[in-house]
Amino acid sequence: MGRIWLATRGFFSILFRGVLPDDALAQLGLIRRATPKPQKAAAAPTPARLSDGALQILSILQRDSRLVDFIMEDIAGYSDDQVGAAVRGLHEQARESLSRYVKLEPVIDGVEGTFTKPVVSDPAAVKFIGNVPAGKPSGGLLRHKGWRAGKIDLPPLNPKQDAGIIAPAEIEIE
Amino acid sequence: MKYVIGIDLGTTNSALAYAEIKPGADRFDTPDVRLMEIPQLVNPGEAREGPLLPSALYIPGVSDFPAGSLGLPWDPEPEFVTGRLAQKRGVENAGRLVTSAKSWLSHSGVDRTAPILPWNAPEGVRKLSPVDASAEYLKHLRQAWDAKMPDSPFTEQKVLVTVPASFDAVARELTLEAAKHAGYGDVALLEEPQAAFYAWIERHQDWRGRVKLGDLILVVDIGGGTTDFTLIAVTEHAGELALDRMAVGDHILLGGDNMDLALARMVADQLAEKGTRIDTLQLHALWQNCRVAKEKLLAPGAKSKEQPVTILGKGTGLVGGTIKAAVTRDDVDRVLGEGFFPRVASSDLPQRQRRFGLQEIGLPYAADAAVTKHLAQFLRQPASSAEHERVRRGASGLAAPTHVLFNGGVLYARLIRDRLIEVLNAWLGEEGFSPVQPLAGEDLMHAVSRGAAYYGMALQGAGVRIRGGVPRTYYVGIESSMPAVPGIAAPLKALTVAPFGMEEGTAVSIPGREFGLIVGQPAEFRFFSSTVRKNDTPGALIEDLGDDLQELSPIEVNLTSEDGTGTVPVSFETVVTETGVLQLWCVARDGRRWKLEFNVRERLAQ
Repeated sequence: MGRIWLATRGFFSILFRGVLPDDALAQLGLIRRATPKPQKAAAAPTPARLSDGALQILSILQRDSRLVDFIMEDIAGYSDDQVGAAVRGLHEQARESLSRYVKLEPVIDGVEGTFTKPVVSDPAAVKFIGNVPAGKPSGGLLRHKGWRAGKIDLPPLNPKQDAGIIAPAEIEIE
Repeated sequence: MKYVIGIDLGTTNSALAYAEIKPGADRFDTPDVRLMEIPQLVNPGEAREGPLLPSALYIPGVSDFPAGSLGLPWDPEPEFVTGRLAQKRGVENAGRLVTSAKSWLSHSGVDRTAPILPWNAPEGVRKLSPVDASAEYLKHLRQAWDAKMPDSPFTEQKVLVTVPASFDAVARELTLEAAKHAGYGDVALLEEPQAAFYAWIERHQDWRGRVKLGDLILVVDIGGGTTDFTLIAVTEHAGELALDRMAVGDHILLGGDNMDLALARMVADQLAEKGTRIDTLQLHALWQNCRVAKEKLLAPGAKSKEQPVTILGKGTGLVGGTIKAAVTRDDVDRVLGEGFFPRVASSDLPQRQRRFGLQEIGLPYAADAAVTKHLAQFLRQPASSAEHERVRRGASGLAAPTHVLFNGGVLYARLIRDRLIEVLNAWLGEEGFSPVQPLAGEDLMHAVSRGAAYYGMALQGAGVRIRGGVPRTYYVGIESSMPAVPGIAAPLKALTVAPFGMEEGTAVSIPGREFGLIVGQPAEFRFFSSTVRKNDTPGALIEDLGDDLQELSPIEVNLTSEDGTGTVPVSFETVVTETGVLQLWCVARDGRRWKLEFNVRERLAQ
């Protein structure tokens, strides 16, 4: 189950912060390259707004697919069968709502495993791995197509609402 | 007027289609009918467009939604939530959810203008009448149109609202009233199966080459909540092919939701056998999952024989509480094939609703779930003399269609279409006829609204019109003059006031009966209809009411006259307006007229 956790964590870290966390890097045996500091554009929304968007995505995924419940649950004791049964529906819902609000597209639209010459040279968009020469390599085998959020279409946040609430508590009246 | 707007006001979903009226267009050109995407709340604070507006209305309470999260593009703070969000939230709190308002609209056992919905609302929740709830859906559609088409105000367009063919005169009148409440201007009604057939014509401009004189088309419309049958004959008028609506069935409260619920109950029973009990909320989740599983199993080319259905655990423990089950193709075949569409003989009629002394008030759901039996009953309706042999019948009297047109979301499933055709063909074979040909319908969810828009164009002179007339015979009840016997009501006779098939835009005087009405006092008449008795002529008196006549809401008239009090002898006159509305008038000898109004309130008091 370590892999599901790692993948989910990696997914969110990349989606919201653009980088993998250190422990994930360590587990994957990767080394972080120097990444450019996020630029502070004058007219850009305040950092607080950015994290509001991240919280909003979390709360949407929780609402539509209960993803946060799943990630936060200790599933070590359950059989693969039981986990599989729960995840199948969750996966479908999470995928449906993610693709509704964020248009995900590959960074390089190629076939994994074929020789590819990247057009862009931004290390945040294209990462070279393996026997990387000293200079800038012209191309190599496409191992991972990468993901890019093409268009983000989130509903406007309600200013009166506490964005920190990912999911409301539920109280049933019998 | 620039557009014709067709509105399918459905039991579970509503839709809107429109076509542009082009001045000077060739009348044989295909009108360009388009669907409008309907903006609606899908989550609190999130409005999105969808091709359908779920006919669900939620009455928000103080603790239901965060403040300011119910705004729509045209209204920052609507009083009610309609559409997808209403449906979603209603699962969690059913006491504030109004659904199936349309079925209530046609239910004569309740006061349809009184605030009675949500039926099971807890004390203190604001309630709406079935008319008001329907008006809310219609209003949402009007506002959505005005938000999207600001240059062509809704009230200036020609609007058609569809109703089930089985709606009686009262339900039709109430539908028009709802439209009026919703701020509609120029509005006319159209029967849904006819609309579905218009949609077929719209898609097949060469329809005259696809059907021929003497053909008989059966329209089977199975929606989320209701089943509706209609027969349309291909006839000839002035040397051209024409279409006549010959018969409509009774209002059957039986649809796709019943089928999905039956599957969910089956799964719940299987779980219960293994010791897992599920509660109402979980049954709702299971209901939805069973629908998805059914659709996957019945999808064209589906190979899987089994679909898992899961109910996720309540609380934050998701995996631990997950309940697993499966729906197999065999289950679906059994529940749908045997429960809802069994292979039956054409003489196998549905069980009659039993009448208990004390009946629980609520929607009069069909007592027999077998759609095929209801179909047999429909095709066995006695022939009317007005048919003029235009309805092909077998030796046993069974109407024998040559073609069948399907409509409604349930009939996406090939299994169900094939089964209906199989059953029909078996019946036709026994009567010595060749098999029916299915007419390929396309968009089963939107055909009705599309067809309504097409019909609106036909009213403008482009395209063919189906001639129908009143699909029932109507009667006024008259108490016999007999000595009073304690405890026994005087026997009731029924006077025919509107014959079956009476055409739009005609009037008929009822001969041979005059009533003395007292001026200044309301006079009330009991009102009946029949889909089965088709040969009663205006003025005919029925001595024995029997099961063929259904009582509707009473009708009343209040005579006001300038020349004081007294008794005015009047006779009845029936008018069917151009928009298909039935009106009854009292006419005095000197020509003064008073309209009789439906009194939907009185029925309850009796």
